[in-house]
Amino acid sequence: MTALEAVSVYLPPERIPVESLAGPLGLTEMQVKLFRRFHGLREVGRDPDPSLQRLLMKAAAGLDALRGQEHRVRYVLYARTMPVVAPYPANPLHEVCRALGLGHALAFTVTHQSCASGLLAIDMAGRLLAADAADGQDGQAGPLALVLSGEKAFTREAQLFADTTIFGEGASACLVSAFGDRDRMLAYASNVRGEFDSATGANDARLQREYRPSLAAVMRQALDEACVALDDIRVILPHNVNMVTWQRMCLLLKFPLDRVVLDNIPASGHVFCADVFANYKTACERGLLRPGDRYLAAAVGAGGGATFAAMVFEH
Amino acid sequence: MTAHETGLDPAFRKQVVDAMTTVLDRLLDRAEPVTEDMRLMEELGLSSTLGLELMLELEDQLMILIDVELLDGDQMKTVGDLATFVAGHSRPG
Repeated sequence: MTALEAVSVYLPPERIPVESLAGPLGLTEMQVKLFRRFHGLREVGRDPDPSLQRLLMKAAAGLDALRGQEHRVRYVLYARTMPVVAPYPANPLHEVCRALGLGHALAFTVTHQSCASGLLAIDMAGRLLAADAADGQDGQAGPLALVLSGEKAFTREAQLFADTTIFGEGASACLVSAFGDRDRMLAYASNVRGEFDSATGANDARLQREYRPSLAAVMRQALDEACVALDDIRVILPHNVNMVTWQRMCLLLKFPLDRVVLDNIPASGHVFCADVFANYKTACERGLLRPGDRYLAAAVGAGGGATFAAMVFEH
Repeated sequence: MTAHETGLDPAFRKQVVDAMTTVLDRLLDRAEPVTEDMRLMEELGLSSTLGLELMLELEDQLMILIDVELLDGDQMKTVGDLATFVAGHSRPG
């Protein structure tokens, strides 16, 4: 069963108040007030170092469990929101692999589900490792995959999702195994809705109406597949889209708001695919998860179509 | 359900309705004035984004803080429903 062996997150200490982004992003005074008052976004992280490679390395540097185990890493998956982040032929992922001593691993990027790509990458990593074992290719004990995420907010599109969220910089690194016993994935459900393409904006109003019911449906689907009741979920690890979305999700789900880990939204914003990992670390640091607790991770990716995704874990 | 039946201050609720219809008239730029019985989604096409802008304008104009975290949009069918919610779930700001 797919399991998270170790998680490391880097959130830059440098923060920019939302008000300071009004000029560069062309936000009205009303939009800034909305972000602050109802969306709960006060500031976002911005790493002064312009290098994406070094941003990812800062997360990987905290992954102590990787030291001395590099030879076990068979796959490196980079989960990303933005389709393109560097001009050809630069490839930050391959540079990170070389720097980490993972040049032997098969490395590729997962980006097709925007901010939901992080959960997809975990599922893919587990499936790849499990398939290798099933095919008898498991020549060494305990092969691993490294799932990276994190991006630079380098364009307007990478800084703002209009009227919804502001992106913050940060990165995560997660070691995944196929048969581990820590943070085991019990179920994964996703629903890709190609009709919600933000490039055309044709169905934006419908996406607003169906956003929460669609996310709730996929969360319930994951719970059903895991045979876990929502009442038995200790915490929800959300994507950091904004506060009001999760306040209303809780009304819809009839789930206590204080069991959704929303701590990182005000100070970090929506950290692309790294939200769930950052919120996992926060849940652990706050002592919210005890051995055996079940928790639910949820994310929505909106871009070239919308993806609603949820994953149930046992800590 | 009337404001009286819900235990709300009718005068304050009327203040909320007046402010709300005035703001909606401006936000939606409609030819006809907005009235209390109009349906928010079907008639006015109010998006969740515009709904939040409406809440913010009401907070500013009426000098209140609205408990938006308790607002279940699916239960708010008409302008009057929303005014009743605001009148019952706000405090001086």
